[in-house]
Amino acid sequence: MIPLGHFLILSILLFCIGLFGALSRRNSIAILMSIELILNATVLNLVAFNATVKNSPSADGQTLGLFVIGIAAAGAIVGLALIFSIWRQTRNIFSDEITLLKG
Amino acid sequence: MAPYNDLDSLSVNPVEHSLIPLLQLGAKIGFYLLAGITLFGALGVVLTRNLFHSALCLAAALIGIAGVYLYLGAEFLAVVQVLVYVGAILTLLIFGIMLTAKIGDPSIPQLNRITGVAALLCAAFALALFLAVKHSQVLTYSFSRIVPLAALGQGLVTTYILPFEILSLILVGALVGAIVIARREGPGE
Repeated sequence: MIPLGHFLILSILLFCIGLFGALSRRNSIAILMSIELILNATVLNLVAFNATVKNSPSADGQTLGLFVIGIAAAGAIVGLALIFSIWRQTRNIFSDEITLLKG
Repeated sequence: MAPYNDLDSLSVNPVEHSLIPLLQLGAKIGFYLLAGITLFGALGVVLTRNLFHSALCLAAALIGIAGVYLYLGAEFLAVVQVLVYVGAILTLLIFGIMLTAKIGDPSIPQLNRITGVAALLCAAFALALFLAVKHSQVLTYSFSRIVPLAALGQGLVTTYILPFEILSLILVGALVGAIVIARREGPGE
């Protein structure tokens, strides 16, 4: 059987790839996609730990993962709407060139 | 919790004894294949220049993660992952890419100025987390339990009924808010 550590290492790698993408991509939609990767890594952790707890029929980790997926969907929708709005006003979605609030 | 005992006994398969090591080897190979697909997809999301290719790589990564959920015995989450992420969010993202981004222009840099620092930071963070996992006891555990789907459903309508309902409110609020934010301002424009 695969030990739990391998699931955790997969989750770590996914999280750090997503973090790198969120920090270094210029395109706002690419940043949104990287954030989805980060959230998926956390859900993977929750599910893996839930499958490891013994002598209990609870599915708490999976339930929490379900909530995270739902919140991530809401976040992605609102983020895309914001990106559309910015695109309509400035014709630009590169995150390092959107400096409207800098004064 | 008597109803779950007979569900647990289902995990003992009436397979020929000699076939079990072969099946376990197959399951291992399948897991590492899924992990490889997921990681390559994730790297493709971050490193591909063309944003549309990034979205397709994201689809590969998300489907790989759904396979890992299946491997962990979380069938419901795997189905939700495919439906919500690959079905809904990814479609929205591809629409967004086609409506906004100038993909295909190779002269526009896709990575910003702090890329080197970000790569160093993420590598250091990954190393720290890896060492933390390596030196803890959890590495030796192995999952041994099939989480019954009935437990998930019962939890959603008993213990977690309030967060579940609040989640539906949040989704409705997010949808209405997204429409308000994204629609055109004024009737004439």
